[in-house]
Amino acid sequence: MIAELGHYALVLALGLALVQAAVPFWGARNRDPVLMAVAGPTAIAQFAFVAAAFLALAWCHVSSDFSVLTVFENSHSAKPLIYKITGVWGNHEGSMLLWILMLALFGALVAGFGTNLPATLKSTALAVQAWIAAAFELFVLATSNPFARLAQPPLEGRDLNPILQDPGLAVHPPLLYLGYVGFSITFSFAAAALIEGRIDAAWARWVRPWALTAWIFLTLGIAMGSYWAYYTLGWGGWWFWDPVENASVLPWLAGTALLHSAVVMEKRDALKVWTILLAVLTFSLSLVGTFLVRSGVLTSVHTFANDPARGVFILAILVMFIGGSFALFAWRAPLLKQGGLFAPISREGALILNNLFLTTACATVFVGTLYPLALEALTGEKISVGAPFFNATFVPLFIPLLVAMSFGPLLAWKRSDLYGVAQRLLGALAVAVIGIAATFAVENGGPVVAPFGVGLALFVMTGALTDLMERTGLFRSSFGTVVRRAGGLPRSAWGTMIAHFGVGLTVLGIVGETQWGAERIASMRPGESVSIRHYDLTFDGVIPRPGPNYREFVGKFTVRRGGEVIGIMQPSRRVYPVRAMTTTQSALMTRGMSQLYLSLGDPDPDGRTVVRLYHKPLVLLIWLGAAVMVLGGAMSLSDRRLRVGAPRPARARAAAQPAE
Amino acid sequence: MTLWLALTLMTAAAILVVLWPLSRSRVAHASGSDLAVYKDQIGEIARDRAAGLIGEAEAAAARVEISRRLLAAADRASADPAGTSVPWRRRLVAIAALFALPIGAGGLYFALGSPGLPDQPLAARLDSPVEQRSIEALVSQVERHLELNPQDGRGWEMIAPVYLRLGRFDDAVKARTSAVRLLGDSADREADLGEALAAAANGIVTVEAKTAFDRAIALDPNNLKGRYYAGLAAEQDGKPQDAAGRWRDMLAQAPAGAPWAELVRQSLARVEPTSVSEPSGPTPNEMAAAAELSPDQRSDMVRGMVERLAARLQRDGSDAEGWLRLVRAYVVLGQRDEAQSAAAAARRALAADPEKVRRIDALVKDLGLEG
Amino acid sequence: MTRRQRRLFLIGTGVGVLAIAAALVLTALRDSIVFFNSPTDLVQKRVEPGTRIRLGGLVKTGSVIRGGNLGVRFAVTDGNKEIAVAYTGALPDLFREGQGVVAEGALDGAGLFRADTILAKHDENYMPKEVADALKRQGHWKDGYGAAAAGSAR
Repeated sequence: MIAELGHYALVLALGLALVQAAVPFWGARNRDPVLMAVAGPTAIAQFAFVAAAFLALAWCHVSSDFSVLTVFENSHSAKPLIYKITGVWGNHEGSMLLWILMLALFGALVAGFGTNLPATLKSTALAVQAWIAAAFELFVLATSNPFARLAQPPLEGRDLNPILQDPGLAVHPPLLYLGYVGFSITFSFAAAALIEGRIDAAWARWVRPWALTAWIFLTLGIAMGSYWAYYTLGWGGWWFWDPVENASVLPWLAGTALLHSAVVMEKRDALKVWTILLAVLTFSLSLVGTFLVRSGVLTSVHTFANDPARGVFILAILVMFIGGSFALFAWRAPLLKQGGLFAPISREGALILNNLFLTTACATVFVGTLYPLALEALTGEKISVGAPFFNATFVPLFIPLLVAMSFGPLLAWKRSDLYGVAQRLLGALAVAVIGIAATFAVENGGPVVAPFGVGLALFVMTGALTDLMERTGLFRSSFGTVVRRAGGLPRSAWGTMIAHFGVGLTVLGIVGETQWGAERIASMRPGESVSIRHYDLTFDGVIPRPGPNYREFVGKFTVRRGGEVIGIMQPSRRVYPVRAMTTTQSALMTRGMSQLYLSLGDPDPDGRTVVRLYHKPLVLLIWLGAAVMVLGGAMSLSDRRLRVGAPRPARARAAAQPAE
Repeated sequence: MTLWLALTLMTAAAILVVLWPLSRSRVAHASGSDLAVYKDQIGEIARDRAAGLIGEAEAAAARVEISRRLLAAADRASADPAGTSVPWRRRLVAIAALFALPIGAGGLYFALGSPGLPDQPLAARLDSPVEQRSIEALVSQVERHLELNPQDGRGWEMIAPVYLRLGRFDDAVKARTSAVRLLGDSADREADLGEALAAAANGIVTVEAKTAFDRAIALDPNNLKGRYYAGLAAEQDGKPQDAAGRWRDMLAQAPAGAPWAELVRQSLARVEPTSVSEPSGPTPNEMAAAAELSPDQRSDMVRGMVERLAARLQRDGSDAEGWLRLVRAYVVLGQRDEAQSAAAAARRALAADPEKVRRIDALVKDLGLEG
Repeated sequence: MTRRQRRLFLIGTGVGVLAIAAALVLTALRDSIVFFNSPTDLVQKRVEPGTRIRLGGLVKTGSVIRGGNLGVRFAVTDGNKEIAVAYTGALPDLFREGQGVVAEGALDGAGLFRADTILAKHDENYMPKEVADALKRQGHWKDGYGAAAAGSAR
């Protein structure tokens, strides 16, 4: 019964989405407050029904109800409970349901918390959100129904792909989807503004918290996915420029650009057309990503199943929304009035430069991801565009962006003095130069690129600190003044500073890992040793260990540094009998920000074990930097200005009428 | 019944969600406006100025700019008063929600859903009494146990005959192999392994199976299964006298009323229809008579085996033993013409090797297929 | 600066950055893309030794020879032609005889494919799309693979 209730809840959610798509829209066109007021409750109820459907599916997974087709195909009764739960979205049908859940969640959040929005904008935006939701609910019900049943259920499921049986699956997809799908709200706001024909500085402020929320989760999701790939694939790579990874980084780049251009729009009423375009573009890229991953055009570990009907359906949704929004854009954009003036050397100018580089980088990634598909469709020639392409295009575009990043926040609005700003950045420059020199000295003949990379990262970080020093008057004013001014700084300024500092940390991590990383592959017998950098590892042997739905072979290695034992590493290989698959569980040993990374390969027929050993200097900074960026985003999100205009009578009313 | 009640309640809730806002004639004005945003921006300039973050001239310019936006917004707000609600629209929406929502949702659900199917959580299915459970359920339970305890030899030994009965011959071979490996070899285990191997090969006693039976006989010269299959192997290799000899020995030692004696007797009759065989070998008619004696499954099995063998030899004709077996099998099935054409095909396929051709010729002569 | 000049400046910068990006993309596309070939393609096209390519097909059953020092040799076949591959390093978890594989590297003068990267499928349902297509072209596609490549689609 639970499965059927979930199914019906999903159908009802589609019904409510259609109501939400039509009634408030009609109300907003006719300024009818009662019809517009339908938007809020339906959005929240739609979310409640999708959530009910999701919980029902989760229950089917947990109770191993193999009469539900997706459960049979992706679950196994011996699977640990956590993977039964995460397995809900470890397959096509479930992950699309999660997608819709996020879509409905954002609609409900706007309905619940968007109290500072004008009624017409809010109801039109919620209607647009419901169009998207209805399209995807129809898609799921028609082509990927998670509640399809089997009348004669088998007794055992086919188990989840063992690569996905990892705690990473618990957090990576939900976070990524929160980000991916979160940008649907900025899309809905942009479409609503275009439909209303009113786009002004206030719009940027209203959209900002939602764009920030989506950006925070997308950043977290991408970082989590990267760390998951790093420790689970056994090859020590943290970014592969895999098309599916690219599909998630495209909206991130566009969304980052959106966050920056929205600042200009909010402050100066300028860049309005561009900001709206970015809002449309960001979600369009999310949709493109969903299409690429879910249609089976690309094959990767993320593609659960290929079915032409699904691809065609998603393509139709894609064309409808992207085409529709761009048509709307072309129709309405010329009506927008020009905003404030500014000189090229100004905060606005710097933010435009930021947008230029971010969107260009986004375009190169887009080309690199889609070129092989286009070429194959046109000529039948099969090619692969790998890391070398992206390194050759992405990195040169990001270097000027990083340099400009330190200047931007120091420039004044309207017109500024580049020379003056450069003078204030002298300290940062000095730190960078010292960093370069010191690295050269320490490295003593290592890769030439590394010192400059370190210098760039230091420049970015100290640049962010310089901004903070300037604003608080550190070293110039008395301690009390500094503290007072620091306390008086808007949270968004802190957010900028922290996020930019995080970028510097990530750059430092990338430089460390790529330039100084070491790799050793050896075939070892118990008792033998291998050394990497200052570490010596002795192979003590392999012991078998049973697991719930797998058998495990654990290798034991003693790690020594300078003859002294500093720890034991235990990488393992797991054999999953149901799918006849083997996975590698690498062992990580963290030393400061660096890691030793050890994974086991296939045992040789003659009793040797292949061992892959990596030394990854500063690798943790890559993800630590992302976490700091997220912290900056959260700081900015907590800025009180984002809630300006929200009526605050709720508490007062409650106090006056306690009986209600 | 509960399902229908729940579905009805859910529908009612969905309809209520739409009707509830429509029922309120006055909407609490919980909406913001851009005026508040611009007022705050002006306040922010004052704060920045006080903190010394911007100069006086910049502050003044910014103030002017934002004031202009504020004025424009105020103008727009007064030109565009809040609308009022029209009752007929509300009624239309309410009617649509009352009828379209349940009809649409219900219709879609009945097209897609399976309201008749109860939930079938695994725990509940496994808790049902043993007699009610299907053999598959029991097998799957044992399999689950073996997956986690692959070292349990008794478990493998227990499940192997079940596999054999279910026709899962490859699994049976795996189970038997594991049993031999884990529990050590005995005549019975080796013979069982051989039996599984032969079943997996569509009844053909392959070299591997033969080895297993030989091991069984070596361990216990009186092992019945091993001896019976050794005879079968001899028959399939084209040595009926050898087969007959082995089976005759078995019958001679058989205690009175042994249940297996009948099968052996039938097999013996097949290779040696009359105890006193003519030197030229059995006539086709007699062969046919013998074939009639054997049970139906038996001949089905032989036919399947023959087809497979023929197909294999079609692809790769270099196996002389295979050809010998095929020709003999056709004769056993009474398909004399087939046997002759198979012999001819064998001669063509083996033309490069006179020794093998000679063996084919000898067999043809033995079976009286010339002419 | 007038509004017109300002606009020109902005457009100029934009076009400049885009031009640089386009140049980067074009050079990178010329230098760093890798063509995918089946063994039959490789034989027919007479690919120059030293050109980086991806070779995809099935690992020929019985062809894997492990040498000392992590070296391994095997043949990649599409059922029609086969190419000998040499590789040094650890093989991916799911490298098996008779299974799909993609090797990246170049031919040496003697017609031996020296691979520096070996990609195998992610799980038993996954056949690299290129390999599946190449096998289909050669008519060696079996329905069993079809079911596997289609995954759990139904």
